[in-house]
Amino acid sequence: MPPIVTVAGLTKHYQVAEKAPGLAGALAHFFRRRYKAVLAVKGITFAIEPGEIVGFLGPNGAGKTTVLKMLSGLVHPTAGTVRVADRVPFAREKQLLMSITLVMGGKQQLIWDLPARDSYRINAAVYELDDATAATRVAALASMLDMAANLDKPVRKLSLGERMKAELIAALLHHPKVLFLDEPTLGLDVNAQATIRTFLAEYCRSTGATILLTSHYMADITALCQRVLVIDQGVLRYDGSLAGIHERFAPYREVSIELARPIDRAQLAGMGEIESLEGRSAKLLVDRSKLTQVVARVMGELEVTDLTVSDPPIEQVIAKVFKDGATAAAAPPAAP
Amino acid sequence: MRRYARVAWRAWSATIQAELEYRVNFVLALLTTLGTMAGALFSLALFYRNGFALGGWSWSEVELVIGFYTVLDGLHASLFAPSHIKLSEQVRDGTLDFALLKPVDSQFLVSVQHLSVWGIPGALLGLGIVAHAGITHEPPLAAADYAAGVVPLLSAVAILYAIGFMLATTSIWFVKLWNLTIALQSLLEAGRLPISAYPPAYRAVFTFVVPVAFLTTVPARAMAQGDARDWVLASAALAVVLGVAARVFWRRALRSYTSASS
Amino acid sequence: MRAFAKKLRVLLAVQYAYMLEYRGEIFLWIVVTVLPLIMLGPWMAAGASGRFPLDEREFARYFVAVFVVRQFSLCWVIYEFEGLVVSGRLSPQLLLPIDPAWRYIAAHVSEFASRAPFVLAITLVVVAMFPAAVTADDGGWLLPGPGAIALAAIATASAFALRFLMQYSLSMGALWIERISAFDRLQMLPYLFLSGLVAPLEVFPERVREVVLWTPFPYLVWFPARLLAGGDVGPPARAVGIMLGWSLAFWVLMRWLWRRGLRHYSAMGA
Repeated sequence: MPPIVTVAGLTKHYQVAEKAPGLAGALAHFFRRRYKAVLAVKGITFAIEPGEIVGFLGPNGAGKTTVLKMLSGLVHPTAGTVRVADRVPFAREKQLLMSITLVMGGKQQLIWDLPARDSYRINAAVYELDDATAATRVAALASMLDMAANLDKPVRKLSLGERMKAELIAALLHHPKVLFLDEPTLGLDVNAQATIRTFLAEYCRSTGATILLTSHYMADITALCQRVLVIDQGVLRYDGSLAGIHERFAPYREVSIELARPIDRAQLAGMGEIESLEGRSAKLLVDRSKLTQVVARVMGELEVTDLTVSDPPIEQVIAKVFKDGATAAAAPPAAP
Repeated sequence: MRRYARVAWRAWSATIQAELEYRVNFVLALLTTLGTMAGALFSLALFYRNGFALGGWSWSEVELVIGFYTVLDGLHASLFAPSHIKLSEQVRDGTLDFALLKPVDSQFLVSVQHLSVWGIPGALLGLGIVAHAGITHEPPLAAADYAAGVVPLLSAVAILYAIGFMLATTSIWFVKLWNLTIALQSLLEAGRLPISAYPPAYRAVFTFVVPVAFLTTVPARAMAQGDARDWVLASAALAVVLGVAARVFWRRALRSYTSASS
Repeated sequence: MRAFAKKLRVLLAVQYAYMLEYRGEIFLWIVVTVLPLIMLGPWMAAGASGRFPLDEREFARYFVAVFVVRQFSLCWVIYEFEGLVVSGRLSPQLLLPIDPAWRYIAAHVSEFASRAPFVLAITLVVVAMFPAAVTADDGGWLLPGPGAIALAAIATASAFALRFLMQYSLSMGALWIERISAFDRLQMLPYLFLSGLVAPLEVFPERVREVVLWTPFPYLVWFPARLLAGGDVGPPARAVGIMLGWSLAFWVLMRWLWRRGLRHYSAMGA
């Protein structure tokens, strides 16, 4: 089956007005505008198969939202090609628009002063759904999200979590094949986040939809995505499975030790990178290749009451990737 | 086409319902409309009570102008302004993206997204004033005269929509300009008086730069003074030209639209 | 007091820089206030007919003065305040050790400042279009003297203060009714027709003028414009007294509404 999304050499430059700080700068800016080209996305290439749930990971300003917006056709690429369901998104052809949807965390398409149901009725007309089908779908989605009681209250009276759920119903009413989700769980409490994640996974499973998701919350990514694209400073740094990130960026394991007596740093010398050392607990980051050696040394040299070996938390790995990326940016770029 | 009608109907009935929530607004809108009409007639009376005829027009003829002004003001306040203001807000909040991703023409969607029922009494009142002016005119206007006003009035509505929409579209470039509709409204205030009341320099501006002349003076002239055929044709032509321009401008704006970053 | 002055200065500077960002908008704001220049046309023709207490020149002077005065006494705080309440951003404002009103005053003042060069340029253009506004009957220049300008400036500042108080009091309604800006359109009506914006008070019927002079409206536009253009404003003590009286009344009303309104607002879940 052909990929549902293909992207090659995707690039986007923005022109941003540049202003020197202070009042003098403001005055100068008033009379003569200076523009700077910001390279938001630099030559990204990937392909996504139907039914995948893919996460875009990256620090703020990395370019993830820009990529998503180019995929949904809202932003015209400066260079490169992008095709969704074998169409150019920016052409915004009706057939494509009938089969995609965009959800943005913190922004909504629902009418503020009216119950969500009324917004759904408008959407039903827009997507050419007859009232019976629309009602059935609303009911089904609402029960999956446990929202049936809230659809008749004005949207402004709903809590943030309820609003996002109502928003999802509006976005999925027409059963799109491709979902673009830009930070959908932004600002939601833990329960709401969990509910939405379960819902999205279930929706994907039952309809075979493809989901492209950006998020700051690692929990979203780990819960939903089999595949992760790491974007940093507009460049694609990694494209593969979540587990693969460990191998690629963090070829080490975390060794947590509980000791009978407090020790000092000197006693841990040479075993690995000391992640933390507090009294009787220590965490070491140890190269995979040296793991058995180090464990043997620890058991031999120290009085250990408990020892655990695990993968370092994914957040840490990603954070390290970005940090290394930032320093790498100062140096001449290596081959991707 | 049926689909578009369905979307418009639903968007309008939804926003009407939202507005009916605020019942106080009905009283307010009514008071505002009556007050505006009273004020406009008052300021006209200030000219006429000393026997001065504005631009050579009689009182009834000027009353026609006020009537058309009130109709257009009401239509603008109910049909055009709310959607245009919402468009500026959407650009500012980054929620225009949603409208662009719907499989319906985006210009249509942003133009019908908000109907404010409160402007409608104004439009009706304006028609009432036109009727009153026609009846009290010397001699009273005939059915043919009223009919003569239809085409210029429809052209005026189209011109008003096109200009308002183009102004709202510029908010895609100038993000903070939510007040463009008010700017338009200010310039349109000139339409309270017949164009001949203004000095020649103004008349040129109000015909070629901001086509206020076509909004209120031409329909009134077509009805009461009869010799307006050229103006009526020009009015219709302008409506078509501006309509096309609005469309082209919208497409151009979308091309350069870069949504606000998240 | 010094701390307050410093806060105000910083607020002003920030707002000024913000305004500079949006140059196009400033130009359009000036377009919004172009009504007096529009009304100038027909009234000049009326003046030339000799049927009115003012002649062509005097009408021209008056409306140019109105235009200038109005640039520095506009008020839009009701929309800002409503926006603040509706979007829920009022609550953090309440926690700041400075009344939110000052933020708006700073915003307005810095807008006036940033608009000044535009206003000057447009005024010069207007005067070039209507030389009657600055020429005397004998053909010489008739510009407002420094005394007139000073008085007009004070009157304009007072007019702004009064207008701000009036509108801000009305804005308090946003604490109860969300869409208070609809009321603004209603209160614009007496402002539009009674303040001297569409016609100077001199052409009002005698009885109407007497009544209107007791309302605050003429003092928002006609009074400062008259001072600038030259002419009779009646006993100055009366004008000052009425302006102060209304300002005080609205100030009291505003404080009261603010207190009551906050109670209502926080009861609804701020």
